[in-house]
Amino acid sequence: MIVVSLLLLLLAVFGAPLFAIIATSAMTGFSGDDTDLMNMALEIIGLADMPFLAAIPLFTVAGYLLSESNAPRRLVRLTNALLGWMPGGLAIVCLAACAFFTAFTGASGVTIIALGAILYPALQHDGYDDRFNLGLITSAGSLGLLFAPSLPLILYGVVAEVSIDDLFLAGILPGLVMVVMLSGYSLWVNRGNRRPLSTFSWAELGAALRETAWELPLPVVVLGGIYSGFLAVSEAAAVTALYVLIVEVFVLREIRLAQLPEIVRSSMVLVGGILLILAVSLASTNYMIGAGVPQQLFDFVSGYVAGQTTFLLLLLVFLLALGAILDIFSAIVLVVPLILPIAAGYDVHPVHLGIVFLATMQLGYLTPPVGLNLFIASYRFDQPIMRVYSATVPFLLILLVSVLLITFWPTLSLLLVPG
Amino acid sequence: MKRLLSRLDRAGRLLENAALAVLLATLLVLAVGQIVLREVFSTGFIWADELIRLLVLWLAMVGSVAACRDNRHIRIDALSHVLPARAVVLVRVVVDLFAAAVCAVIAWHACRYLVLEIEFGDAVLVDTPAWLAHVIVPLAFLLLAYRFLVLTGIHVLAARELHADAPGSDAPP
Repeated sequence: MIVVSLLLLLLAVFGAPLFAIIATSAMTGFSGDDTDLMNMALEIIGLADMPFLAAIPLFTVAGYLLSESNAPRRLVRLTNALLGWMPGGLAIVCLAACAFFTAFTGASGVTIIALGAILYPALQHDGYDDRFNLGLITSAGSLGLLFAPSLPLILYGVVAEVSIDDLFLAGILPGLVMVVMLSGYSLWVNRGNRRPLSTFSWAELGAALRETAWELPLPVVVLGGIYSGFLAVSEAAAVTALYVLIVEVFVLREIRLAQLPEIVRSSMVLVGGILLILAVSLASTNYMIGAGVPQQLFDFVSGYVAGQTTFLLLLLVFLLALGAILDIFSAIVLVVPLILPIAAGYDVHPVHLGIVFLATMQLGYLTPPVGLNLFIASYRFDQPIMRVYSATVPFLLILLVSVLLITFWPTLSLLLVPG
Repeated sequence: MKRLLSRLDRAGRLLENAALAVLLATLLVLAVGQIVLREVFSTGFIWADELIRLLVLWLAMVGSVAACRDNRHIRIDALSHVLPARAVVLVRVVVDLFAAAVCAVIAWHACRYLVLEIEFGDAVLVDTPAWLAHVIVPLAFLLLAYRFLVLTGIHVLAARELHADAPGSDAPP
């Protein structure tokens, strides 16, 4: 058993597909206690028993359609019209636009590619320091993770069996804290630089609003539909996907019909990768629960950790390490079922746990060795990876402080959650 | 031979794209249709919700086969940045052969499960045989096993080209 685990660990580090690693560990467990391996098939088919899962492919395809259209450019123009008059405004425009866009595209690195291509040259043009720009865009690329309807929030809700509506509400304030803290840092860094400020203009705001008239109702449809109780999460996703499809393809005609198959493909490739890991994790999780692993873990942890504060601190360290090696989706499906009962033992609210989990994993996008954003930014802006690392460090530290705040101030997450 | 392979690849790609588009379109129409039926006509199909969830299973399976063709399965990619090129090829061959084997084993057991479902006459969606809805699982894992073998072949071919470009040849990098 130990030998198999070590071997699997080695294969994982050398880049074997994660689903194969998880499936093997589940099957080794099953055959260890004489469970028929047919169970594997049963667990995978169990994917079809999970409620709300349809939201994942539907929101993903909507996000991909948006990023292939000119919506990113319109979003930047609108944010610029709203915030561009402030000193250091463009940096804040960058943070706000990225956060909004990531919420809709599911934090898969699309933001850096879609928005970075517009914002990076714009920041350079306005005379911001190049290192600052690189760090700003790299860290802004995963900023909207806590805002509805981001994919990680939905996935956490599905896996932890927590109300997704509650999670959407819980993410708002912590997400804002992150945006505000990064904005404050950006303003402070650029305080000495006198740049030609663009003046606020009602005409420009009006023009930008008219241009985005078709996309503006989207947040209203999604959030309004869900909170009014009119739509379930998966239904809101269906409405969003259909609406975006009609607007971008038939009304604005920014996406040609011939492009659709490849857009559908690339979005479903992402979904397939995530859901396959979810499917095999259902098997490994059920095996571990059957074998009493969460209870043993709890007994072990409670032997060393006395109070909630110590537990949260330990959790934070663990999640930081986890985020450095695992992507956010795999981490959710693999680890959440195991830590959920432990957290309950320390009276940590499952919604708060979710926000802490996602906020900490967001740092994983920026930490070496496998921070996704670091590689995308290095590739997209043609910069050496070490330069991207060092440019991101100050932003990483700010985010770390915000994560500490979010972790030890549960009210921030729970204030808006009913009950 | 090379032309045949690239044709096969294009055909497979088209087939995956078509399947994904049809599945997603059905999911979209069904999900929106349910809302319209409920809000406007206060009715709905009782099987619609189950069919939506089965469609998600199919999307996940076909999507993961497509992900394999694009080599986009989620991996911890920590070492390929530090290992020498030759070692990377060897490592990739090993891990993808491993993945192919795992998929083959799952495909086999999923087949056994399906046979059992046929024997018991399990049903989904009121009266549809369950194996029809679940046949995508063994099929997808079989295709995954095959795709990972192909991926291994691609690594080996790439290694050969790497070898050809090694010292001695004066091809520009």
